[in-house]
Amino acid sequence: MTSPSLPSDPISGGPMSRGPKASSAGSTPASALLGRILAVGLLLFWSLGPMVWQLYTSLRTPEALLAGWAGLASGWTLANYTQILTGDPPFWRYLLNSFLVGGVSTLLTLLLAIPCAYGLARRSGALRLVMGGTLLATAVFPYVLLFLALLEVARHFGLANNLLALCLPYAGLSLPLAVLLLQAAFAELPPELEESAVLEGLSLLQRLRWILLPLLGPAVFSTALLVFLFSWNEFPIALTWLSRSELLTLAPAMARIAGSSVYTVPYGAFAAATVLGSVPLLLLLLVFQRPIVAGLTQGAIKG
Amino acid sequence: MTRPPRELWARRLALGLLAALVVALLLPVSIAVARPAVTIRVLMPAPFVDATAATVDAFNRSHPRLTIAVTRGPFETESVSDLAISSLLLGDSPYDLLLMDVSWTAKYAAAGWLLPLDDRLGPDPLAGVVSGARQGNVIDGHLWRLPMVASMGLLYWRTDLMERPPRTPAELVAVSRQLQQQGRVRWGFVWQGRQYEGLICDFLEVLHGFGGRWEPDLTPGLGLEQPEAAAAAGWLRQLLVDGISPAAVANFAEPETLQAFETGDAAFMRNWPYAWSELQKPGSHVAGKVGVTTMVAEPGQSPAATQGSWGLSVLRGSSHPDQAVEVLQALTGADSQRRLVKDWGNTPTLTALFEDPELLAASPTLPEQLRALEYSVLRPITPAYAQLSDILQRQLSDVITGGLPAAQAMGRAGQASTLLLESTGGEGTGA
Amino acid sequence: MSRTLRANLVTLVLIAPALLLLLAVFVWPMGYYGWLSLQAQSVFTGLEPVPVGLANWQRLLGDARFWQDAAQTLRFSGVSVGLELLLGLAIALVLHQRWPARGVVRSLTLLPWALPTTVMALGWRWIFNDPNGPINGLLQSVGLATLPFLASPQLAWIAAVVADVWKTTPFVALVLLAGLQMIPADLYEALALEGGHSWQALWRITLPLLRPYIFLVLLFRLAQALGVFDLIAVLTGGGPAGSTESLAVYAYLNAMRFLDFGYSATVMLGMFLLLLLSALLLLLWRRAAEA
Repeated sequence: MTSPSLPSDPISGGPMSRGPKASSAGSTPASALLGRILAVGLLLFWSLGPMVWQLYTSLRTPEALLAGWAGLASGWTLANYTQILTGDPPFWRYLLNSFLVGGVSTLLTLLLAIPCAYGLARRSGALRLVMGGTLLATAVFPYVLLFLALLEVARHFGLANNLLALCLPYAGLSLPLAVLLLQAAFAELPPELEESAVLEGLSLLQRLRWILLPLLGPAVFSTALLVFLFSWNEFPIALTWLSRSELLTLAPAMARIAGSSVYTVPYGAFAAATVLGSVPLLLLLLVFQRPIVAGLTQGAIKG
Repeated sequence: MTRPPRELWARRLALGLLAALVVALLLPVSIAVARPAVTIRVLMPAPFVDATAATVDAFNRSHPRLTIAVTRGPFETESVSDLAISSLLLGDSPYDLLLMDVSWTAKYAAAGWLLPLDDRLGPDPLAGVVSGARQGNVIDGHLWRLPMVASMGLLYWRTDLMERPPRTPAELVAVSRQLQQQGRVRWGFVWQGRQYEGLICDFLEVLHGFGGRWEPDLTPGLGLEQPEAAAAAGWLRQLLVDGISPAAVANFAEPETLQAFETGDAAFMRNWPYAWSELQKPGSHVAGKVGVTTMVAEPGQSPAATQGSWGLSVLRGSSHPDQAVEVLQALTGADSQRRLVKDWGNTPTLTALFEDPELLAASPTLPEQLRALEYSVLRPITPAYAQLSDILQRQLSDVITGGLPAAQAMGRAGQASTLLLESTGGEGTGA
Repeated sequence: MSRTLRANLVTLVLIAPALLLLLAVFVWPMGYYGWLSLQAQSVFTGLEPVPVGLANWQRLLGDARFWQDAAQTLRFSGVSVGLELLLGLAIALVLHQRWPARGVVRSLTLLPWALPTTVMALGWRWIFNDPNGPINGLLQSVGLATLPFLASPQLAWIAAVVADVWKTTPFVALVLLAGLQMIPADLYEALALEGGHSWQALWRITLPLLRPYIFLVLLFRLAQALGVFDLIAVLTGGGPAGSTESLAVYAYLNAMRFLDFGYSATVMLGMFLLLLLSALLLLLWRRAAEA
């Protein structure tokens, strides 16, 4: 598809447009402002309401939850968190596992994707076209379809219950999007830059390391964040590759917690797990909002 | 181009952290290799981990060179099986022993995951076992599993609301309706109506109560295409239509059922024996007001209690089968069962324990449980059981939620089951 | 060595590792499924593969459950992607406006998308709880009867749609937002000079120019929705009455619970074919829309 040219950060650098609403004539500024506040309020309620409810639930005793809305003055507790954090294994272990898998998968993906994207960006014609189509097809492919075959792989090569081995399929699954993003970024660099470096006698590896990559910093970073998010959240492969509870990553651990209630339904504990499982991502989002948004929007366009 | 030193440090730090993590991951492996004594790993559903903890402790203290390590599985029966299967499929299973539900045995044995126990446990290992827990352990002439606790479906009733429990479906509905009209309870009967294995257990009891059967060799449709099956499923649906059971029953498993009964909201509950001791705990609104009996049955039909025993099997992949058998015997032995009954409200499998005065004092419903065990019925024993159960669950759930008329849904379940057994070559492979 | 040959060789070395991993992760599995779908590999064969020709495919054609799940998966995907598109467009238009603290609002809006599906599915299970969840609590407080969201086949799939829309709309909104920022402002100004209304601006400028983005987001979301697994597995497990079971869940059950690997592979290939068909229809629609 034709790709419109794009500045490296579409959020801050996008061309100014007032949008259709702003151009509407006849509405008074006051009512427009009210409508805007209402729209944003609704949006935030829709996005955050369910999370706020989880936070509320996680701080309530079981009796208070069954009693309904009445009695907000009492029935508050931190017991749900203590229960989750002192479980066997403790909840932070899942977060640590997810963090490790996310980190290593991201490094591995970048290691493979950067040379590939560079190689493709320097080419034109059939190879790039075919690879572009293949990458797009694999990027949208619902990877849940692969679980049985990957289970066979894990069995055959003895890769089960190994967090580092799990990073292999994760890198494979993240590659298409990563290559697409990075290839677009490489293509934007002026070719003269590299040509002059060749004249200076720099080798391919040196050019890549000291000239091109520093310029691609933002693109590499946002790609890394997207890969990390994918690996952090992945469920079906982790479900089939990991069976030891101390090795579980967050996603299968949550599913197992969902099926592990003893005699009563511990929604408070579920909610505490939900909150603890969300906090790292909330922080990640708040700190790295710009590169994530940039990566997502870029990926969409350059596909 | 030179790099600012700070960036270099950051990179070294990151590499160092990564290396430390890798080492941290590999360290436990090397420690495990260094340990000389044998460790037998057992996977159990969460409740049994607590219930056997005392036995395991005692065993580990008296056996310095043999250690039992118990892995806490999930609570729901199917989730435990999913976990066991996923580790078995990956090969190199981390477990030596598995605490198995009676309905898994055929599948696990056919998959080649279990070690036959025939010669390892003496001449007749099931001799002392009560008849209601004896079935389902020997398949195709081999013993695959030794029961640790018996279990069967019971009807819980409120002794403060009625003189004696109802014996027929009609009576149960009439008593419920009367109590509801008097405003003494919100609901009549709570049971497990969610689309899962528990629904099958409830249905099987009602099915037998209506004179029906569900067996792999029955035609047509394993017995499901008979009027009795339609009557049983239709009765369950009618409970929701008439408001005897809440509509939410269609999403109830055992915990929700117990919760509804515990708060005094319902007159009757279908559940397993462990619920009795839960209901006597502080916080329960019905402590001391609960009796147990068998499920209702039509006049002239005998009641039925679905057999839900748990037993231990040795996995074929175990590298210490002899020690695993030793642990199996300790966990299924009389001392272990005594603790399970006395402290945790489980049902023993050894006939002798039902008459033990100490246990009778701790668990006054034991005689009623023994009586229920005489009526115990088994779910079909075939490697395809999981599929058969799934087919029936789906159709039953459709009936209960008002999607299909009972007769039509049971007809579909019967046809789908027949088709499945034909196409997988599982025809006539019943026990 | 000629220069082109050398350049080709360098390119090959650069892309080969990534290509190999892609082959192993995407291409080999489909070939493996092709082979496996011609085998019986189940508890009845002691988990060993035994060639059976087209028996699995015959079974698939006659399997009412496969077709019911296919219809349900399509219904789920169609409805939730449709809603996501509408809602995503509305959100993108809101986020496109300029006001203070826009960055924070954007990242908070993005939160549902960034969370693991299993985490938020567990959360929604509690929100839909009957009778203790907040929605039913609200219904009760105004004197209405509770709704058995997860216990009724008519409601459960809608509950799944709501949870899915909540989770993935931010993604749709973000892609469309990127598209909005590509539209030159002077187009709107020109229309305003002609006296055009804001709705006209939406129909005549915004939507036509967003079309490539809409197509892309549709392709991406449809493919992901047709493969829905995590959400269903945790929210409903496929019930009640199988009314929320998706093809991916059915394939998973066949392998991991029923130990029928040959048939599981067949179900997945069947699902893959349906997916290809949907993608093809989407491409045809796009071509027609462009013509």
